[in-house]
Order: sequence, then C-alpha cells, then structure tokens
Amino acid sequence: MFQAMGVHGPALSPLASVLLDVVLLGCAFWLLAKPTKRPIFDSLFMATLVLSVSLIRVVMQPIPNVQPVTVAALLVGAQLGARRGAAFAVLVAMISNFFMGDGWWTVFQAAGWASIAIAGSRLSLVTSTGFNLGRACMASIFAAFWFDFIVSFSILDGNIGFTEFIVYLGHGLPFDFLHMIGNLTFAIWLGGWFTRLLEEEPSLEEIEFTVVNSHGIDG
Amino acid sequence: MALLFVTLLLVPAITAQEPATAWDDEHSFSWEYDFQTGYISTSPLFTGEQLLVRTSGNDEPAVTAFDLAGDTIWHHSNIASTNNDMSPLLSVQAGQGQCGSWPDMVLVGWTSGLVEALAPSNGTVLWSTQSEVIGWGVTGQLALDGEFVVIPTRQGVGQYCLADGQQQWWTETGLGWRNGVTVDELGYFVGDELGHLWHVDRTGNATSHALQLGKIRHAPLVTQAGILIHAQAVAGSTIAVFDPLNTTLLQQIPAGSSPAIPSVRGEYVVTGDSSNLRMLHCTSLCNVIDMTPFHTNGEIAWFDDGQILAPSNLPESTWGIFSIHDQENLTYSSIDVGLYGYGTAAPIQFSVGLTTFTVFGNDQSIIRVFSNIEEVETSSLEEFDWGTQGLIFMIFILLGSSCAFLLSGKREWFLRTSSLLALILVLLIFPDLSSQWSKSFDEQFPEKSSLEEWNEQWPDEWLGTQIVIFEINGVEHSIGGFVGHDDVFSLTQAACKELEIELTSDLTGIGWYVESIDGIEGKGWEFSVDGSKGIISADNSIVGATSIVRWTPA
Repeated sequence: MFQAMGVHGPALSPLASVLLDVVLLGCAFWLLAKPTKRPIFDSLFMATLVLSVSLIRVVMQPIPNVQPVTVAALLVGAQLGARRGAAFAVLVAMISNFFMGDGWWTVFQAAGWASIAIAGSRLSLVTSTGFNLGRACMASIFAAFWFDFIVSFSILDGNIGFTEFIVYLGHGLPFDFLHMIGNLTFAIWLGGWFTRLLEEEPSLEEIEFTVVNSHGIDG
Repeated sequence: MALLFVTLLLVPAITAQEPATAWDDEHSFSWEYDFQTGYISTSPLFTGEQLLVRTSGNDEPAVTAFDLAGDTIWHHSNIASTNNDMSPLLSVQAGQGQCGSWPDMVLVGWTSGLVEALAPSNGTVLWSTQSEVIGWGVTGQLALDGEFVVIPTRQGVGQYCLADGQQQWWTETGLGWRNGVTVDELGYFVGDELGHLWHVDRTGNATSHALQLGKIRHAPLVTQAGILIHAQAVAGSTIAVFDPLNTTLLQQIPAGSSPAIPSVRGEYVVTGDSSNLRMLHCTSLCNVIDMTPFHTNGEIAWFDDGQILAPSNLPESTWGIFSIHDQENLTYSSIDVGLYGYGTAAPIQFSVGLTTFTVFGNDQSIIRVFSNIEEVETSSLEEFDWGTQGLIFMIFILLGSSCAFLLSGKREWFLRTSSLLALILVLLIFPDLSSQWSKSFDEQFPEKSSLEEWNEQWPDEWLGTQIVIFEINGVEHSIGGFVGHDDVFSLTQAACKELEIELTSDLTGIGWYVESIDGIEGKGWEFSVDGSKGIISADNSIVGATSIVRWTPA
C-alpha cells in the first residue's frame, strides 16, 4: 500500500534491514520459547499456520487493504494465547514482507498485528459455548482501524509534521473502511472454522488425567 | 401509438448526432455550448476541474464555468466592460507571501479597467482593483511574479499583491492595446501602440526603447537570442530581436500584416500573421526554420505533444494544426471542428484521467469540446473487464441469496452472503471513492507549502508554467513549460516524453503506481508537489498551473 501511494517513511540501509529482521526474529523466538508437552507438533503447527497465512496475504496483495492477517492474529491470540499470537503476528509480517517488500514499515505491521493478537487473547472471543461471532465482529472492526493507525506511524521520518500526519490519516479513512469490511467478512465466513482449527486437542496424558480424576470423584 | 413511442425514443439520438469531419476521425465530439451572443476572443481555461470561458462584445461580458459534462457551474459578469475583452484568463495557484496568503484563483482583466480575482469553484470575487480607462482598460496578458501579479493597464504597468490585490506600484508607460507583460530576471517587458518596448524593473522604474517598428500588441518573448517582438506596421509587420542589455536591435525579419500573438517553447518560437505561420529557432540568433501560408491574428496554442493549433481569422474558416518534423519542416493541415468563421482564441487541451479534452471557441460564441477518441476506445475496451463482470454476476447471486436466507431465517448464512456482498460492492466503488475522498479532503484542508522554489538557472519561458524535476542517480533533470496538466501523473508522463526518459507504471486499485523512472526501480519513487510530499497516488494528486513536481527515489 505504501509503495503504491509513494509514501515509505525512512529508507533503511542493508545493515539496518538485517538488524531489524534479526530483532524481529528474536522477538518471535523469545515469545515462542515456552516449554510445551509436544514441542515438535506445536512447532510444525505454528510453522504451517504462519506460512499459510503469509501465503494468503501475498496472494491477496492486489486487493487494496483487505488484510486476512488481522482477523487471523485476533483468533490466534484468542485460541493460542498472547505469546504465540504475538509471535505468529511478527513472523507473518516478516515472511509476507519478504515477498511484498521489506522495510521500516515491517516493524509497525508486526507491532500492529501483535497488539491485536494480545487483544484477542483478552477478549474472550472463544468461550465454553464456542466462537462468539458478535464479539469477534466488533473486535475485527476495531482491529482494522487500530492496525492502520499503528502502521501509519511508519511514515514519520522527521520531515512530516503533526498536521501532515493528520491529513495522511484522513486520506486513509476509505482504506480503513475497506479493511474493516474485509475483516468482518473474514470473521463471519472463516471465524468459526479457523477457531476450531486452532483448538488444541488434549494429549493422551491429559485425557488420562481427566478420566482418572473424574473416576476419583465418582468413587 | 407504438410507432410514436419509438419515434420519441429516437429523438435524442438524432439531435445528438454530429456531422462527420476530418477532426472527428481522431477525436469524438463531447458537447457544445452556445452563448448566443458575443465573442470568445481568448483561450478557455481549465482549472480546478472546471472549464472557464470568457465572452464579451455583448450586453453581458462574462466568465462562465462549466463542468466536464457541459453543465454551467457559475457565471460572473461585468456589464461595465463594454469592449471586446482580450486579456486571457490567468490561473493562480494558492500560496502565501508578505501580503498574506491566497487560495487558488482566476484573474480576470476587463476592458472596464477592473481586475478581479475569482474563486474557481464558485466565481466569488476574492478581491478586485480598478485601473485607468482611456477608451479601453485592461486588454493584455497579466503575468505572475512570485507573490505579485503584474498588470499591464491601459497606459502603464502595475505590481499588485496576489493576496489582496493591493497595488505595490504603478508606472506610466505608453498607451497599450493587447499589451501583454512578460516577466524575466531583469523585471518586466511590455510594448505599446507607439512601438516602444518598455522595461520596468521590480521597483517600478521604467525605461523605454523606441524600436520604431510598429505597434507591439503582445507580451514580448524572452528567448536565448534576446527579447522577441512581432511589431505591427501599417503595411506588413516585423519580427525583431532586441538585446535588452545593450539596448540594440539584433534582428529584423519582415512578415505579413496583422501579427498574431507569438508563442515560445524552449528554443522554438512560432509567429503568425495574415499571410504565414512561421517557425523560428532561437539560440544566439533567431532563424526562420520554415513557414506555411495561413491567416491567423490571435492566440496560438502549443500543446504538450508538440502540435500547434491556431484559429484562422477569416470568414467561414476553421483551425490549422501544425507540427514540426526533423526540427526543420513545418507541416500544416486544416481541421474541421464544426465551428466556422472569424476567431482569435487558441484552443486548449487538458487531460483528466486517461481522457484528453480539446476545447475550441471563436467569434461565433460557441464552445465545442472534444475528447480523444483513441483513449475513449481503449477505455471502453478496458471497461469490459472480465473480473469486474464476474464480480457483478456474483453480486446478483449474493443479493438473491441474502434475501432468501433472510426470509428463511437462516441468520448465519444471511450474514455470510451479505458481508461478502458488501465487500465486493466496496471493492468496486473503492477507486472512485478513495479518489473523490482525497480530492474533497485536499479541498477542505489545503496544504500550505512553498518549499520548492524557482531555480534561477531555469529558462524564463518556464515562468508561470508547470515544472517537473527528476532526481536520477543524484543528478537533477528538470523540464518545464507545461500547461494544462491537472494531475501529477499526466504532468510526469509529459515531462518524461519531453526528456526522453522511460517511465513505467502500473494501474493499481488505488491509482497509478510509478514503477520505474529511466529504468531505475529501486525501492520505488516518491513525489512532492511544491514541496509537499505526495500522499496519494500520482493520478489523484492535483497540480496547479505553476506547480513544481519533484520525483525522488525512495
């Protein structure tokens, strides 16, 4: 979007770009560095998820500001928690921008989606009764504007004043609106399915523990 | 009854049909407007998405604004202006100076001596100033000089603030008629009816040079060879080059009677009279490259594609179109635009999006607008976009499904189909929506910036025109002298063509994206307009009549 608009923010040197990628990657691994019961399965699942959503983002690039990643980040946060949701957001931003154009804006995109994933983990989008569509729709509407707002900061390069920034935000409102409609569509069509996909199946050990525990209560 | 109904349906088609002419082969007729009375003596002006036309020589001399569909937007008259108004309309871009700031304006000089600044959007008078009237008032071309407008009055030259029309000074010169003023680094040049060429410095001190060649009825031209004038004598005329530093006449070229208003573009000058249209090449000297028989006595238009159009000022005559080949041969052909008779107003050409409009007007008091038929055909082919057609088909399916699910109480599926329907609808209208929004937003919150300044090394012919600068590999490539471009993309295309720089671009959902300039892609290209960074696509970014556009690698 930014290239098409002719707005880029500060240009990065090759060294700065590498450093930026290293920092982002470090953040993602730090967020994922949590002991799990099924490390290989979890890692493979996360990798598949990140690559799939990145691919979808790249494929949908020609459609202006329809961002499937926003709703995905929201739901990944809701189902897998804030840490893995934020890691997912950072990795998707990095990998998809590897194809779509890397730069200063990657940091803001990663930050925007990571914050949405964290918000998703706090909003009880999935309850014991299942996927809460109404709440997810509301969250996806807000997420569209929030993400665009965060990413807009990437144009600040010391030459753009407050008034110009406000004008820039004003110009972007139709794009925010499109993002919002896109999010709503994704949430309504794919929210339930994606949430079930992310649902963690209990391990054999957990099933056994539950069964024994319930028998103990019965006894 | 059925026959009557069919006949009634055919009536609009019959009245809209136009007779086929040579001009129609290349351009399609869009619309015309008949003012009924008066004359169109000066070129129309396109500014702020509106076409402004001035009419005079009738009961109600006026400036009338039209939209591109031919509907009248506003009409501003001055009944005190009783003679033929020949001062061309002048577009002024918003700016600020020591006198204050000013919005986009159109300056109108009347034969009543009045000079008015009008708002292009609604014709409101922003300020006005009265100059002396000795039979006639203002008849010459006004000129811009930074924060001032220089007005050639009936018997003098004055400098006025663009912000409020406040007179800075006024200096008496000779009695002038169609006495346009020219701005250059030395000050201002203006001619008079006694054949004096006046030089007025920026503080108002005037010096006259009696050339004794005849009446000077146009704004003198600044060329590399010197100041070029086409003086009108009792019999015939003289094209002369004057050295302002040594105050000597360098060249005198005899020409026909009743000279037209000469026009300069770079090193080339075109002159006209009742006998010939001449092309001159001016470097250290001005040499006539070629000439062709043609009778023209008014304005001469020089379009961005290098073609020259001039009205023939004879009964039942039309327009001449000229082009120069191999920098030495002038070719001429007559074009029939459906307007015949006397004329002195040059046509104008401007682009809006992919369509190029050409506007003609003459003493018949009729304005006729044509659009480029090739681009119309291209766009009509592009309009049949299978993707869009598929989306429209899906819209009908989704609309029907949404209604069915709503009526059958299937809430979840209603939400699915209706949300997808909303998304497709928004995507379809999005390019227009974002474009209109940006334009409205820019109008409501105009940016104030004047960081991009005039470069003293630029040729004076670029003054008051649109200029483009490309920063390629750290070297600035500048080109100016463009007029009539409405957006950055159109202006950039013209500049690349002029500089023979390759430009590649791609149409995206949010406008044209410039991919590479001179083969350099890099990380993209950014542009600024008058120092303000472009924040929407180039084709949606508006440029003023004197804008400076700068392209830099991202």
